[in-house]
Amino acid sequence: MTRRLLPWLGLGLVVTVTLAVVLWPDGAPSDSARARALAEEFRCPECQGLSAADSSASTSRAIRADIRDRIEAGQSDEEIRQAMVDRFGESVLLKPESGGLGLLVWGLPVAALTLGAAGLALALRRWRRQPAMHATPADEALVEQARS
Amino acid sequence: MTRHPLRLVALAVGVAVAALAVVLALQVGDDQLQAQPRSELLGDGAPDFVVTTLDGEKISLESLAGKAVIVNFWNSWCLPCKQEEPALKEFYERHRDEADFAMVGIIRDDTKKAAGSAVDERGIEWPMGWDPGGRAALDFGTRGQPETYAITPDGLIAGTQYGPASVEGLETLLAAARGQR
Repeated sequence: MTRRLLPWLGLGLVVTVTLAVVLWPDGAPSDSARARALAEEFRCPECQGLSAADSSASTSRAIRADIRDRIEAGQSDEEIRQAMVDRFGESVLLKPESGGLGLLVWGLPVAALTLGAAGLALALRRWRRQPAMHATPADEALVEQARS
Repeated sequence: MTRHPLRLVALAVGVAVAALAVVLALQVGDDQLQAQPRSELLGDGAPDFVVTTLDGEKISLESLAGKAVIVNFWNSWCLPCKQEEPALKEFYERHRDEADFAMVGIIRDDTKKAAGSAVDERGIEWPMGWDPGGRAALDFGTRGQPETYAITPDGLIAGTQYGPASVEGLETLLAAARGQR
């Protein structure tokens, strides 16, 4: 029994270690990775649908340079986000804020999914409760009569 | 009426999905940054900008303290900037000799050479500042050009104009900077 389980245990170990190596965060991100990640959070103020990281517009270039300067000056991600919001307003954030209208954007899909899952569970329970239908001798007699 | 949980759940899901559609339509329907009618800086302290004019003179917010200041973000290739030039010229001529008035153009998203040529060719007489790296444009939270800001003598942003300004609009901005409205 144990010998039969060994390959599966080995396989499980390999998968676990591989996932751990791939997914484990390798320390603090570099300054440039931090700057890039932050620039991806901000909307390019003068173009449509692009982040400050992906746009070559002058304001986006200035935003990227400003982020780098602020990181060098030791500011936290939150301080940098706040500096951008102070200049451009909440709408500079590509990710909806976690309050107000943003709460609806985050919350409504979750509510719809939860309610949908609840409805599905209720429906399944009801279907399971319904008795299975079997043909009675009277039904079979009717079929026979129709065939003859 | 009999209670029917499945119908209630379906109704709730429908309401949630409809609400989400409305929220998304409101969010996606327009570019919020472009549509934003007012600056976040309105009523706050103006950014402490420092620019060097095309003539080599250094201008900063500090050097203009005590004056009502009109700051106009501009460049040589933008058509709306060209469109508002007559209004800016007329407005500047009206006020240039007033001791408590200053007007500064700040070049946004342009080359120094192109901006310099345009200033000479078009006869722009107010000081035009070079803004390396777009620092001042960023600090003012500009979204394009032209944009015009009115700053009070004690350094607060009193008014903004996105897009081409008219003489009347500029007078309104100046009056706001002087605390007259």
